[in-house]
Amino acid sequence: MKARAVAVLALIAAVAAAIAASTAGAGSSAATATQAVSCSGTLKIGIITPLTGGAGFLGQEQLSWTQYALSRLAKPLGLKVQLVRGDTPVEKGPGEGLVVAQKMIADSRLVAVIGPATSGAVASASSALAAAGIAHISPSATRTSLTYGANKEATSSFFRVVPGDNIQGPTDANFMVDKLNVKKVVLIDFQEPYSVGLADAAQAVLRRKGVETIRQSTSVNTTDFSSLVTRVPNDADIVFFPTQQPPDAQTFGQQLLEQGKRAKVFGGDGANSPAQFKLAGSYVSNFAPDISGVASSKALLDGWKKANPSASLGSFGPPAYLATQVALQAIKRACVAGNGKMNARKDVVKQVKKVRIPSSILGGAFRFSTKTNDPLNAKFYIFQIQSNGTYKLVG
Amino acid sequence: MDTFIQLTLNGLTLGSVYALIALGYSLVYGILKLLNFAHGDVFMVGSFIGFGALQLLGGSADPVVPVWLLLILITLAAMAGCAVLGVAIERFAYRPLRDAPRIAPLISALGVSFFIAYSMQLLFGADQRDYDAFSMSDGALFFNGFDIGNVRVPLLRIIIIVSAFVLMALLWMLVTRTRTGKAMQATSHDREAAAMMGIDIDRVIVFAFVLGSALAGAAGVLFALRAPTFAAIGFLAGLKGFTAAVIGGIGSIPGAMAGGLILGFAEAYTQGYISTKWSDLLVFVILILFMLFRPQGLFGKADIRKV
Repeated sequence: MKARAVAVLALIAAVAAAIAASTAGAGSSAATATQAVSCSGTLKIGIITPLTGGAGFLGQEQLSWTQYALSRLAKPLGLKVQLVRGDTPVEKGPGEGLVVAQKMIADSRLVAVIGPATSGAVASASSALAAAGIAHISPSATRTSLTYGANKEATSSFFRVVPGDNIQGPTDANFMVDKLNVKKVVLIDFQEPYSVGLADAAQAVLRRKGVETIRQSTSVNTTDFSSLVTRVPNDADIVFFPTQQPPDAQTFGQQLLEQGKRAKVFGGDGANSPAQFKLAGSYVSNFAPDISGVASSKALLDGWKKANPSASLGSFGPPAYLATQVALQAIKRACVAGNGKMNARKDVVKQVKKVRIPSSILGGAFRFSTKTNDPLNAKFYIFQIQSNGTYKLVG
Repeated sequence: MDTFIQLTLNGLTLGSVYALIALGYSLVYGILKLLNFAHGDVFMVGSFIGFGALQLLGGSADPVVPVWLLLILITLAAMAGCAVLGVAIERFAYRPLRDAPRIAPLISALGVSFFIAYSMQLLFGADQRDYDAFSMSDGALFFNGFDIGNVRVPLLRIIIIVSAFVLMALLWMLVTRTRTGKAMQATSHDREAAAMMGIDIDRVIVFAFVLGSALAGAAGVLFALRAPTFAAIGFLAGLKGFTAAVIGGIGSIPGAMAGGLILGFAEAYTQGYISTKWSDLLVFVILILFMLFRPQGLFGKADIRKV
């Protein structure tokens, strides 16, 4: 009986401690949201991205380009900025974005976030970051519903420097029609929002342009596509395969070849991985170009290679440089407007959409759309996989 | 007709793998009357061990041994690793609960399943692992073979189907023609009577786990030669193996073989002729129908009890 009473008391104490901890966090975040921040000391920028786990490669790429941007751009703007890392391994689910964000919110000198990298993490963390007045600028979250529609998943403090999937689907479809002259396209979705949205958007354009489309759907857990491949007509030109697992695209393409089908695989940004999807002749689209082909970015690229001699250039890093550049300029503008201090962190949020970058690392001028927090006139890029496995920009 | 032949080939390939998984369920259930829900995760671990062995041997594009030897070595590595895992699962998760109410080992089995899946995910991440069999011998495994009508039967599919059937035949011979196999049958019929006849029950049970887990390891490699594997794949694969065992009659070895093949064909024909999105649903509809109308399966015997 005594032991039971002790156990009950311990449980009550634990619950009380948990409530106290959560309310203390809320109080401190509310306090830090309205706290003035001096621009003369060291400010902090967070990065929320998967630094470890299965998607660690993209997080490390984004981290290296963010560090590079800070090392190049902060000092000329008269800012001292420290980077705070937030690791959100995809294996922990999108909720990890909120966990990491809450730690950053508690730091009153942290005035902007690069990321979250994934759309799920944005949806999970955006409300908390907005409540704390923190601008969060993603270099890679492309889900359309983050910034579009009646039920937007992200807040007005969220911005992204890459276009959404609403641009990707039509871009891919137009490329198929205009450059590949397709007559018949099979579109596959995996019964989850990313692929269904992309396939819907591409299919609508293809139909409008008179292309015969065949829609197939399979489970996201499927990895042997034999019978799906059997259903692909022999005269289909393209199979649009917007998977988020590059090895699936590789397997699907191999199984097409095995069954003697002539259709080529066309993947979205989720399949973009030169190490894992390397089937010659296939296509992938991505939100960033290969900047080695952007002449104005050559010096930047050379500098990054010097700072990261063992890293190889991917398409996830350069948008992180751009996002950091936008964040730094917004911070500078807020500091100037406040005569050397910010009245609150949300002053940075107000400045983000005013940032203009005449020559962006991704090529051309950069600014945000007046209607959404997406980039104005941004586009997706199409690559074709070469026989040596490299990705060649073709559209 | 070509579509039918191709789908039959797809079903046979998939069904061979399901049959190997189902055999593990049936072997353990036949002897312990335990549904080893961790069995699907043993299959997953087998596919990962095979992947690791493949990398150790130089990878698919540039292996340090001939491809035929490579395939044998990675399969044996997976079988050996899974056999050890099976023994560990039996020793630490099931043996202490052998005389507990039947719900206890069932819950323990689910716990072991989650433990293995999440441990693998933490250790190796959620990334898919691709054996890239396409690169072995410059695609010969995919493009060499023979034709039935206009349908190519590639070498890799032949290897998978033949390997699965050879393993099933070996198991059948072991169970029916060896002393250990006969001890397993005796234990399956009446564990107490078998013990009184001098059969070492613990040894028989461990041997059933060794055999079942080794077959799951082989199934993991054969599956992953054609499709990427990942840490969470064991749950669905295990459920399909379990369904195959139920179809054939859980506890029946020929039933598990037949059940696996029936399930493979059903999945392939559903995907090919009805819809690709319904195939997983079909598996569970079949499971429910068998549970309702023929719980003893095709080859099992009805459990008659005196009251």
